[in-house]
Amino acid sequence: MNILEWAWLIPVFPFLAFILISLLPKKGLWWEDGGGYAIAGAGGALALSVWVIWEVLNGHTLTVGAPTFDWLVIAGFKITFGIWIDQLTAVMLLVVSIVGTLVVVYSGGYMHEEAERRRRYYAEIMLFISVMYGLVIASNYLEMFIFWELVGLCSYLLIGFWYERPAAASAAKRAFIVTRVGDIMFMAGIIIIFKYVGSFDFGTLFANNAAATTAAMPKDMLTLATALIFGGAIGKSAQFPLHEWLPDAMEGPTTVSALIHAATMVKAGVYLTARTYPLLIHSPESLLFVGIIGGITALLAATVALAANDIKRVLAYSTISQLGYMILGLGAGGYLVIHGGSEAGYAAATFHLMNHAFFKALLFLCAGSVIHSVGTNDMRLMGGLGRKMPITSITMLVGALAIAGIPPLSGFWSKDEVLSAVYGAGEFHFTFFILWAMGVATAFLTAFYMFRMWFLTFSGSARSEYHAHESPKIMTVPLMILTALALTSGAALFIGAGFKAFILGSLGSIPVEPETETLGEIASAVFTSPFTYLVLGLVIVGILSAYRIYYMHGFNRTIFAAGIPGKFQKALENRWYISKFYDDFALVVVYGFSKLADLFDRYVIDGVVNGVAYLGARTGGVIRKAQSGNVQRYASIVIIGIVIILFFLLYVLPGGA
Amino acid sequence: MITIEYWLILSSLLLAIGAYGVLTRKNAIVVLMSIEIMLNAANINLVAFSSFHVTLHGTRDPSGMVFALFSIAIAAAEVAVGLAILLSVYRRYKTIDVDKINILRW
Repeated sequence: MNILEWAWLIPVFPFLAFILISLLPKKGLWWEDGGGYAIAGAGGALALSVWVIWEVLNGHTLTVGAPTFDWLVIAGFKITFGIWIDQLTAVMLLVVSIVGTLVVVYSGGYMHEEAERRRRYYAEIMLFISVMYGLVIASNYLEMFIFWELVGLCSYLLIGFWYERPAAASAAKRAFIVTRVGDIMFMAGIIIIFKYVGSFDFGTLFANNAAATTAAMPKDMLTLATALIFGGAIGKSAQFPLHEWLPDAMEGPTTVSALIHAATMVKAGVYLTARTYPLLIHSPESLLFVGIIGGITALLAATVALAANDIKRVLAYSTISQLGYMILGLGAGGYLVIHGGSEAGYAAATFHLMNHAFFKALLFLCAGSVIHSVGTNDMRLMGGLGRKMPITSITMLVGALAIAGIPPLSGFWSKDEVLSAVYGAGEFHFTFFILWAMGVATAFLTAFYMFRMWFLTFSGSARSEYHAHESPKIMTVPLMILTALALTSGAALFIGAGFKAFILGSLGSIPVEPETETLGEIASAVFTSPFTYLVLGLVIVGILSAYRIYYMHGFNRTIFAAGIPGKFQKALENRWYISKFYDDFALVVVYGFSKLADLFDRYVIDGVVNGVAYLGARTGGVIRKAQSGNVQRYASIVIIGIVIILFFLLYVLPGGA
Repeated sequence: MITIEYWLILSSLLLAIGAYGVLTRKNAIVVLMSIEIMLNAANINLVAFSSFHVTLHGTRDPSGMVFALFSIAIAAAEVAVGLAILLSVYRRYKTIDVDKINILRW
């Protein structure tokens, strides 16, 4: 029995948990209002995922020829549901299964006070995990799109978990609507491809270096379709200019932010872009677009994170920024594939995807632990928590070091790989040099804002009245596991044949000449490159400046509030006015257009309908007088009619009757 | 021999007279009587064509006469019903003037 053929069971476990939690009577829910079933469902999926990943690590994949289920058969073609297990799927499975399970366990402590609502929470989170697995193992674009929409739905439901708060309700709607813009682009993209190629299947589209697809599609349409599919990623992975929903999504429970809005769902966009690689590499324009969007997002979000006061918003902007890194890495990697046949960028981006999932989930869960204890998100009201929450503060420090990129933590390796890939792509298109510089600046900013956050939260003295305490074991144990992963997941670069050689398999028939470097060469390449030391130096400067400004006493922070820095800070606090721009845009353009449409509806459409009815009524009012009730008049009309008919039959019609 | 034309002219005249009565008279009983005249015009036609059959084909065909007999019988029944209706109308409205019985209208 090939276990890979049973991979479709992975989403079934959490889905069963979802059904049970939703439908069982209250008494049947035992622990934590359904939390027990949730852990069982997530754990079952984790076990099967690990088994599948193990098989993939042993070199087995299941792509073309996997068992499928005919969903729709319409004359001439059929739409199937199938599974597609390759190395990229394995990376996503690893992320979703580990983070998903740990978050569900952690929820046992974090959501404890929610009482009856935990049932809804666990049901929704199980549904999310289930459809996320579905998205990851999907074998065609349409199947992927269906799950793509379903994760969007779960995201909406969970952001609006505390729907009685207006901020949460509107954030949920915003997330749903903004990502929908991307979803529509995604849909348009796959429809274009379907129009030309007549298939949604990865197998058909990607076979032989996408030969069938490139033969069937004109170059322009391929560029348009791939750019539109990447548009879906822009929405889901919160890339500029559709990134503003993600910080607002922090209104949901922190566990949701950690799972959906940091580790898994927002990675779906990166995953989609990586999955579309066989098509993307035939369109350098789309790849450049991907890279530019990624670079802008990385830098822009990192700057906004500098001025955020909400601990979760700092992390949210950091997530956007890191997602930008991955997208940038994919864009640059495509150029490397086209020109050099090297998989470096692709490998770097997927590697960063995995590492980021672990350390960002860790950071979010630490933030959740802090919020759980202090009862506020505002860092200005925290301070001095380090002594009261030793485990949380140390695990979060590890997370911050990992994301800042201090060796040997995971973030260092993947960030270095991404930046070197982008620099390498600069050889083929000068834009990537600019994007590389932006990436380096982002690395500096990342180190700075992460440690600003850490110092504001854990060092110094308390800035408000609170009774902090360390979180219960059920929350700290997942933190410790994630800390271990954040410390070590970077080592995947050197385990076995190395991450690069591993992920190479998922490029399928794309012609690449793998860099035949040994693991030692990879390591020495990292430590002999001057750019590694440049970035590392900037990171350390960033950390030290945060230390000087936010830890040591006597730094006059008011200098940021005056003059040009003040203006700058104000712009950052207002998120570069992008959010405001959308609000104004919605108010003026969308609302204005809606008003216009309303008037049109009210006066033109309704006018026509009512006018016709009025005309009918008036005509009826006039001609009903013919019904006089006078029998003799009716009879005379009948007789006149007969006479007229006879006249016609006898004299007018030719030949008579 | 009286030719068919005379019979047809007679029946046309009777029909016209009956129709005139139906359309102009106010008294419902007179209207009913006028209808009887129109019916009889039709009966004359039936009988006339029946005997004309001999002139035309040389054979006898009594169906026209049979129809006339049926028609007379039905006319008798119709008068009974019509008079009964008029009686009820009179009881209800105290009049049988057809111009005044016009509530079945807009």
